[in-house]
Amino acid sequence: MASNVKQYKAIGEELWKGRSEKINAELFALTYGALVVQLIQDYEDYDEVNKQLEKMGYNIGTRLIEDFLARSGMGRCSDFREVGEVIAKVGFKTFLNITPSVVHALPPSPTPNRQSNPTPSQPSFTLTLDENPLTEFVELPEDALEGGLWFSNVLCGVIRGALEMVQMQVQAEFVSDVLRGDESSEIRVKLVKYLEEEVPVGDD
Amino acid sequence: MTINSLHCICVYYQDWHRTRRPKPASEAGLLPAVSQAVSAAAAGDAAAAAHATASTFSSPRNTLQSTTGTVVAISNELPPPPPSTAGAGVGGLTSTGLAFDEEAKLVYGVVISLRNMVKKISGRDEQFTSYRTSAYRLHLFETLSGYKFVMLTDPRTENMRVQLRRIYEGPFLEFVVRNPLVKMDSREQGIDNENFRAALDRMVRGLPVYA
Repeated sequence: MASNVKQYKAIGEELWKGRSEKINAELFALTYGALVVQLIQDYEDYDEVNKQLEKMGYNIGTRLIEDFLARSGMGRCSDFREVGEVIAKVGFKTFLNITPSVVHALPPSPTPNRQSNPTPSQPSFTLTLDENPLTEFVELPEDALEGGLWFSNVLCGVIRGALEMVQMQVQAEFVSDVLRGDESSEIRVKLVKYLEEEVPVGDD
Repeated sequence: MTINSLHCICVYYQDWHRTRRPKPASEAGLLPAVSQAVSAAAAGDAAAAAHATASTFSSPRNTLQSTTGTVVAISNELPPPPPSTAGAGVGGLTSTGLAFDEEAKLVYGVVISLRNMVKKISGRDEQFTSYRTSAYRLHLFETLSGYKFVMLTDPRTENMRVQLRRIYEGPFLEFVVRNPLVKMDSREQGIDNENFRAALDRMVRGLPVYA
């Protein structure tokens, strides 16, 4: 699928360049930081803050997907693997100008004698963010580290919201975060199920 | 033109020429803010637009309905007096005397059934785009996210998919998606708003097929 990957990169690059409304990265990072600080002050519970960030991300995601579909004109992805590629190479590139790398973990193939390590029953992929524009100037204090704050949790919400509007229900969560002292920032996105199209309630 | 959202509800309605105004919707039938012109006209109804409806019958409907349902644009031009009109022509869309919400459901039902039939017959790649009768032509543009843009025009109009797509990328993206005040949750409210309506109006009136 190398050619597809290159195509996606090209599309992403083009969309990023073609975007007329870009904002200053520092302004973006500082605004987001202020938002998180305010949430912490309001809720005082890091789990709750994580949930709120995810919820905000969800609302953003449901609209962002329209923007993405309208501009990129991409068709439906053929499988979950492709979804991961498109999100990483086209999606993130278009909106944040970063290209996380993707590692896929697909469910085991039907042949019986294949498996040695346990693979999840649902397909999933992991996005590794080498650079994160949201965390430009950020350092987490002690109690945030202990409390379990995922600083960029809004990104997980965006992924979940966006995919839900295209009939895929997923779970997206941070696995590790550089701010917490881990080696890299990783988001794992796991497919829960494909959503069926809604049919109107028959009323005749 | 109507816009229908993913929950199969009509979220927006606008028209440019119609021979007969559709009757206002029955009370429970329509989400608030789909179009002033077609919301329930009962006095003392929850929709504040109701009163305006009765009096502003000639103005384009403005209520926004936030249903993510189908966006239907009944941009049919009125039936032209026999000799003149060249080009776009307008299909006289004679109202069937149905209340608007029923009409919207009818349109949506047709669209959904045809779409399913096309998919079953020719697989996922084919898409139902339009159909034509002797009185009108219906154009459909559907997004991956479930929004359906429906437009009814004169039968002689050529395929409007491109224009519908431009509407999606233009006014819809600008004034609905990017507008934080417009709730995109289609179950409760339509997506009518001044800017969107005006921009859409401008765009449609500027189309070459518009009579």
